[in-house]
Amino acid sequence: MNLAIFLEQILNGLITGSMYALIGSGIALVYGTMRVLNLAHGEFYMLGGYFTFYLIVQIGLSPLLAIPLAVAIAFCLGALIQKLTIEYLIVRENWAFTTIAATLGLSIVLQNAALLMFGEQFNTVPYYVQGVMSIGDIRLPWQRVLIFVVALATIAGMTWLLKYTRLGWSIRATSQDRDAAQVVGIPVRRIYMICFGLAAALGALAAAMLAPINAINPWAGIPILLKGFVVVILGGLGSFPGAIIGGLFLGVVEAVGVQLTSSEWRDVISFTLMIAVIWWRPWGVFGTK
Amino acid sequence: MSTDPLMLVVEDVSVLYGNYQVLWDVSMQAHAGQVVAVLGPNGSGKSTILKAIMGLTPVRSGRVIFNGEDITNRPAHQMIELGMSMVLERRRLFTGMTVYENVMLGAYHKSIQKHAKERLEWVESLFPIIAERRDQIAGKMSGGEQQMVAIARALMSRPKLLLMDEPYLGLTPRIVNQIADIIRKVNAEGIAVIFNEQNVKLSFGISNYGYLLESGRVVLNGTGEEMMNSDVIRRVYLGE
Repeated sequence: MNLAIFLEQILNGLITGSMYALIGSGIALVYGTMRVLNLAHGEFYMLGGYFTFYLIVQIGLSPLLAIPLAVAIAFCLGALIQKLTIEYLIVRENWAFTTIAATLGLSIVLQNAALLMFGEQFNTVPYYVQGVMSIGDIRLPWQRVLIFVVALATIAGMTWLLKYTRLGWSIRATSQDRDAAQVVGIPVRRIYMICFGLAAALGALAAAMLAPINAINPWAGIPILLKGFVVVILGGLGSFPGAIIGGLFLGVVEAVGVQLTSSEWRDVISFTLMIAVIWWRPWGVFGTK
Repeated sequence: MSTDPLMLVVEDVSVLYGNYQVLWDVSMQAHAGQVVAVLGPNGSGKSTILKAIMGLTPVRSGRVIFNGEDITNRPAHQMIELGMSMVLERRRLFTGMTVYENVMLGAYHKSIQKHAKERLEWVESLFPIIAERRDQIAGKMSGGEQQMVAIARALMSRPKLLLMDEPYLGLTPRIVNQIADIIRKVNAEGIAVIFNEQNVKLSFGISNYGYLLESGRVVLNGTGEEMMNSDVIRRVYLGE
């Protein structure tokens, strides 16, 4: 294999991986704070894709306006859905397991709602940027470069938020000890709502960035959820930094694996990796026991 | 009895975990500036009563009144604003965060935020370790050190009443004495303290008043001296 192709594959892997990181970090944020495995996370990705599609293609907004708007709508929808469904289940003692059934049901409802509203056909949006970047022998479409830049900026922004803002401190405190967080005056139930909204927003952003490449239909969230699980299992369930590293790592492993085999093997590679991790290091490759 | 104003009144409080009743019509009081000990064996409900006061566990019947205001079943995160703070059992620090972050989270509430700087100086004067270990990850400290950080975090709001759930649990005798000194120091700052503990002798070294709980009911209450001289305590708890 020549070096340029190899480097190109690594870069492509990092780009895909940055999207996996956005998806996985949403799952991690929700699990980390409220110990809820959100099986409807993929549907926020799917809805984010539809919001983007409608705002850009049907209404004709510029992507610069449409993408933030789609993300904001997803945030509000996520927070609202949390308030109306999961909120009632997690406040009850020993009812946490019910959230698995509830989010699975939510996922089915949202898929069928999308089917009724938007139909089953695949929808895409035009590329946000045209052309191909070339450095030496490495060639990458600008669209992919843009995806990577937006993902990295978002990850940096989220890291800053968690580390330095009042909201971030309260999210970290809530995820480490819910009772202690309440005792120091953190309204944990509002934090849950905000985290669910943030997770939905991160999923929607991934969909908005991928919409020109990955067509959206009502079931677009399912493979995304599965990849998100691989990411959080690699990174250690509930760890935000773990999900970022896990996402990038998965992207690169898939890209290199596909280069060595063929593209049909992509999912085989990632799920084999996941099973191996569950077998050998159930707390995650990058997590701690 | 103290002549200071009544600060906390617990009136016939019952608490159930599922169908299992852990507190039966528990009543107790604390005056401003007092140190009150809640005694009892494991499973007597002595932790539950503190959690019920703080709003961490729902009260099924009865009332909790703090400075004349009915605070029964008010969510825990609102207690800080009223002047009540709590050190949870087994410290419960945010173990992945630094000492500084832990202590500053004690000043999370908007009403305290503006005083955060002076409060930090105050708790640092009470616990020099807070300044010395500022950037250490809290989970990496020893049990006694963690307890100090936990108390410092609870004091950032400069509460009128500090609840301490088993402050001596899992600590060596030397550290237990240090923590007892700290409770005295905190009390000397005019802060009332209610703590629970199994060891009767340890408790009455520092408290002015005590309650003995057994199977979720108050079976005895009185001043430290009265408690130490009571037959039940002498027979069952001091083995005389």
